[in-house]
Amino acid sequence: MTPPSSNLQEQFGPIIAALAGALAAGDEQLFYRELDALVESRERNLFGELRKLTSDLQSALVRFSIDSRLVDLAEKEVPDARARLDHVLKMTDEAAHRTMDLVEQSGPLADRTAKQAAEIIESWKRFRARSIAVDEFRDMVVKMDSFLESAGEDMGKVRSNLAEVLMTQGYQDLSGQIIRGVMKLVGELETALVELVRLSKGGVRKSDVEAEKPSTSRGFGPVVPGVDHGPAVSGQQDVDSLLAGLGM
Amino acid sequence: MKFLVVDDFSTMRRIIKNLLIDLGYQNVTEADDGQTALPMLQAGSFDFLITDWNMPGMPGLDLLKAVRADAKLAKMPVLMLTAEAKREQIIEAAQAGVNGYVIKPFTAVTLKEKIDKILEARAA
Repeated sequence: MTPPSSNLQEQFGPIIAALAGALAAGDEQLFYRELDALVESRERNLFGELRKLTSDLQSALVRFSIDSRLVDLAEKEVPDARARLDHVLKMTDEAAHRTMDLVEQSGPLADRTAKQAAEIIESWKRFRARSIAVDEFRDMVVKMDSFLESAGEDMGKVRSNLAEVLMTQGYQDLSGQIIRGVMKLVGELETALVELVRLSKGGVRKSDVEAEKPSTSRGFGPVVPGVDHGPAVSGQQDVDSLLAGLGM
Repeated sequence: MKFLVVDDFSTMRRIIKNLLIDLGYQNVTEADDGQTALPMLQAGSFDFLITDWNMPGMPGLDLLKAVRADAKLAKMPVLMLTAEAKREQIIEAAQAGVNGYVIKPFTAVTLKEKIDKILEARAA
């Protein structure tokens, strides 16, 4: 057995001495009073320890919840976010090229129409002024035939290209939804890191780094290849057959 | 025929509006989420609702449910036009009473087909 430390001597020495004195003197009242004082001082220590333990435990639990959320963010959601942004990059690249392809296809068609019209207009003016020569008139009629045919065809193609340019802009909605999701994740990551920094400085507060789970009612956003899990349809045909199966 | 197009992205609303105009439907109004759309539907005399799903405020599914729960609007044709592609979501939309479901990215032909089909079923 180790000898009692001076701290113990200091804390309990006088009480034990008083207890021993009261016992030897047969002073029952004094004995019990001293005994109560002893028990009370032990309880004070015990509650102090318990308080400290509880606080440590609470701090550990908060840290654990932040840590596990951070682990989840770092291991899964950040790489997923990278894949999502990569998909956005691909989508915007494709949309920009498709739009430019359509513009490049349409330019020469519009040019050809303008050029052919310009070739006819002078002869047409002379025809309207009744001053056109017979040869020029014949030539104009031939040009007019070819112009009417190619202008109709070319402008039809330009119109359909314009419609496709319009459809191509749909990428802005799809990529915007994905970027919004990544922005939410960055916000969450920031909150978790700020919490962690604050916690390491000793403060304990209920953590609000809970992840907001996506739900069917709120929506999940566009499907990103290689990222999304769970059964999703692969295209409009799939949707149609699923709905047909439901009697629609 | 008066259309209400609900989508939080203005680019998508413009695309749909332009397509509808090409299809001969000139009367198209826009709203940016369910919360804005519902009072417009209740106040206006719309004949057809085209809505996105994933929107801040009131999502499209909640708008669909609110429309079906409103005696005055309950029979309105509703076409969901969305990037939401989970099977459970499509089933949920069908159970909530959607008339058509088109996933993004979509084509002008698909949109026309679905609108025609819904209107034919109405007329029958």
